[in-house]
Amino acid sequence: MASSYPMTSAEQKAGRGELEGWIEQLMECQKLTEAQVKVLCDKAKEILVNESNVREVRSPVTVCGDIHGQMYDLLELFRIGGQPPDTNYLFMGDYVDRGYYSVEVISLLVALKVRYPDRVTILRGNHETRMTSQVYGFYDEVMCKYGNPNVWKMFTEVFDYLPVTGLVDGKVFCLHGGLSPSIDSLDHIRAIDRIQEAPIEGPMNDLLWSDPEDMMGWRPSPRGAGHLFGADISEAFNHTNNLSFVARAHQPVHDGYQWCHNKQVVTTFSAPNYMYRLGNSAAILQIDEAMHSTFIRFDAAPRKPNEGRPHSFPDHMYF
Amino acid sequence: MADSVSAAPDGPGPTSPKHKPIDPTTHTFSRPQKQISGPDDVPAWEKSEAYQDLLGFILTLNEAVKDKKISDNYPVSPVIQKLVEMLDELDKWLEEIPPIEQPQRFGNKAFRDWYARLTERVEELLKNILDEKFHSAVEELAVYVTESFGNSTRIDYGTGHELAFVAFLCCLCKIGVLTEEDYPAICLKVFDRYLYLARKLQMTYRMEPAGSHGVWSLDDYQFLPFLWGSAQLLNHKRILPKSFVKPDIFEHFAKDYLFLAGIKHINQVKTGPFAEHSNQLWNVSGVANWGKVNTGLIKMYRAEVLAKFPIIQHFLFGSLLTMKPAENPSSPSSS
Repeated sequence: MASSYPMTSAEQKAGRGELEGWIEQLMECQKLTEAQVKVLCDKAKEILVNESNVREVRSPVTVCGDIHGQMYDLLELFRIGGQPPDTNYLFMGDYVDRGYYSVEVISLLVALKVRYPDRVTILRGNHETRMTSQVYGFYDEVMCKYGNPNVWKMFTEVFDYLPVTGLVDGKVFCLHGGLSPSIDSLDHIRAIDRIQEAPIEGPMNDLLWSDPEDMMGWRPSPRGAGHLFGADISEAFNHTNNLSFVARAHQPVHDGYQWCHNKQVVTTFSAPNYMYRLGNSAAILQIDEAMHSTFIRFDAAPRKPNEGRPHSFPDHMYF
Repeated sequence: MADSVSAAPDGPGPTSPKHKPIDPTTHTFSRPQKQISGPDDVPAWEKSEAYQDLLGFILTLNEAVKDKKISDNYPVSPVIQKLVEMLDELDKWLEEIPPIEQPQRFGNKAFRDWYARLTERVEELLKNILDEKFHSAVEELAVYVTESFGNSTRIDYGTGHELAFVAFLCCLCKIGVLTEEDYPAICLKVFDRYLYLARKLQMTYRMEPAGSHGVWSLDDYQFLPFLWGSAQLLNHKRILPKSFVKPDIFEHFAKDYLFLAGIKHINQVKTGPFAEHSNQLWNVSGVANWGKVNTGLIKMYRAEVLAKFPIIQHFLFGSLLTMKPAENPSSPSSS
């Protein structure tokens, strides 16, 4: 089955077999070595540097929301949505932080991207930044698992290269956060110099941080980054850019997905029972060749004994 | 890396002999505003008077509750009682403003109505508690109270909101509404009642944790009940850190100990093995004694709450808690 997919030049250098071995290992929740992460990240940057800020994707594709290090639930997502590359995937960011397995999740998604670059799209979320991932767990997890921050540095460099938005068949606009008062058209997005640490304000910041709200117009976001935007903004943006709707993530949804703004915007969240507390379902959005949208909901993966958390953490640094 | 507790601010707190209460009849109060706009402002915050005052206050209360149970005897002044009654009043509103049934993304929008009522009535509630000579402070105090229960737009709650309530209590000490003899009751009566209300809001309106670090957090919503709670248990003969994960311990002793009430609540709302859903607290149960837990949690609070831009950017500064450089700043908690 794997041999029917063409190799990229990056794979030709290191060997498809090696990448597939890494993917198989990561699917068992076994992390890569620091040296392997270096090779993987270098290959990833070579591929991602050529991708547009508005990555164009053909249907059929399955669009997914936040994962936040919940590896066992990502594996459940693949069981439900289909294994890559048999199913094409577009992930809308927030792979790291808060869960136990940010390392394994980001390694797996980047490895899948490198192995199947035309079948897997990974966008940038607000957690794919140095500022956020140093605070919310990814940095601490790398220190626990590798004893030094190098793997964090390597992945945060890859984060700079991730496209900010995706576009499915020219009609479904996908991104992590939301719209920006500085952006009217997709061409505005294409013009952004994206390969940098995400700025703390401005159009790129808005795309990663903004939220739709039950209102009209714009307001600064209470998050302290990005904006809130109203139904009139979504309608105008979709009309101007000839879009069917905007798909985004960034906010937990009790039922996995939620339409708003008169079906101009849908929020999809793919981390079930978020942080063991929210009790939410997760969802994925399947867009078929005829551009029909179907949502599939799923709950947290049943755990086998000894799954769910790492076997041991080193002594906490405060005690 | 977090600094050691011995580098704590000079003086035990806002009403130590070195700090006389501010005279509300001559002081110019001001409505608190945001003053931290980027990560570059964090070092100035760590050297500020507000930082010293808040940390000093937290450490002062920490001392005051060592080896004390909630049901022990300590002074409970009329002001303390009125503060508890105010929280009782806010609690009653939950019955009058029940969650709404319509489909929504996550948090229940009825919280916005509860919050709107708080904003509308808070100044009147404070005037009912405070003597007239303190009424000039009400506008400034009211802002901290309204910041204490979560964000109305996002319908979320986190350690920044908890800190806002502590700021309110600290300000009451600074202007002389509360005094040194109130310290145990501030923590074990007022803050305890506040926690009860905060948890009820979180559950009733299904509030999101604001800025939780997930499994890397001590808890998704609160920190100080564990910090002060570990002081309460300091020399307890029977309850050691390793005991707090046992249901018969936290069920039975939750009513007297903030730490155990926190553990009991977590077990009620989270699913799965404790070691999995609350790994940081599970790690704490492996620490040898409560003294080490207490100093460790203080270091952790300084590093993970007070030093983190995503939390502290929302803090509001008025005339009582200011960004002015402190005279004797403690060392910064992280490089």
